[in-house]
Amino acid sequence: MPTPATPRTVRAVWILTLCGTVLWLGAILLAPWLAGRGASGTARFFYALFAPVCHQIPGRCFALEGYPLAVCGRCLGIYAGFAAGLLVYPLARGFSRIALPPVRLFLLLTLPMAADGAAGLLGLWRSPIGLRFATGFVWGTVLPFYFVTGLADLVRTRRDRAAARALEKAATTK
Amino acid sequence: MPAQKPEYFRPALIAGAVAGLLSGLPFIGAANCICCLWIVGGAAIAAKLLAANTAGALTAGDGAIVGALTGIVAAVADSLISIPLKPFSMDLARRILDKAAELGGEMPANLDEIMAGSSGFTSPGWFLIGLFLTAAIFTVVGALGGIIGVSLFGRKALPPSPPPASAIPPSAGPGPSDAA
Repeated sequence: MPTPATPRTVRAVWILTLCGTVLWLGAILLAPWLAGRGASGTARFFYALFAPVCHQIPGRCFALEGYPLAVCGRCLGIYAGFAAGLLVYPLARGFSRIALPPVRLFLLLTLPMAADGAAGLLGLWRSPIGLRFATGFVWGTVLPFYFVTGLADLVRTRRDRAAARALEKAATTK
Repeated sequence: MPAQKPEYFRPALIAGAVAGLLSGLPFIGAANCICCLWIVGGAAIAAKLLAANTAGALTAGDGAIVGALTGIVAAVADSLISIPLKPFSMDLARRILDKAAELGGEMPANLDEIMAGSSGFTSPGWFLIGLFLTAAIFTVVGALGGIIGVSLFGRKALPPSPPPASAIPPSAGPGPSDAA
């Protein structure tokens, strides 16, 4: 019988996600901080870490110590929004009720970033870095509501399947 | 008894291979700059394929699994396709930095070495480290995309009820979306 994810599971997933997000944001700031202090080799590693997920074009990145952050303004907005959404999560959802956000809300929050990105790609406008950050931030706020819910449910699914396997094994050994 | 385990691998393999291929291509792969768009999109498509091939309703956990697998497949495909394109990618990165410098931004002198050089880890050891890091990132992002995919494309499932003190009601996990 499938059981709902317990508040304890959701809280554990939330805490782990929060820790991961803090480390991720820290690494974004660490790259230029290290470069500014002359640790080029280590900075190079941190810039390389984010290369698969961001173009890292210096003109589109905020700067620290004269060096661009490891991700562009929009990506930083997404991650900052994710962190903000994560902090709001316990207040908005609590740990006992887990459900995915309404599709309409997701589409609504995606719209500003999609419009800004599409307009940029089509050459209709060149949005300033602040706007890129803002639209990314808006989109990022909804993501933890998917992520935490999904991972908590994944833990539940695995636990249920393990229990079913154990029952099956016990039944066959009898 | 839990529902039968859905067949995750096939949708993940198809969607992951396509997403990884697109991610590894110059210019086209740049769409990954918006929160790994190809990976999130690929994982969402994998969830759609999974929903089409599964009799019951999918849960968010199913989306996380198929999305994470899609991310791993995409990381391998991306890394493999990137090998022959490496010189071109490095050249492109240098041109972007040159362009940025031309636009008047005051860039530190060693920025070119630090950033364009970051794509220059070419030894097999660095390739494996890069593959591992890319896989780790794409797995997390893919899981997110898979969960979003279940929300968008999965069939409706009953929302989970909080367990009452006396009994645990039968219910599926969090379904496609919380329409309430």
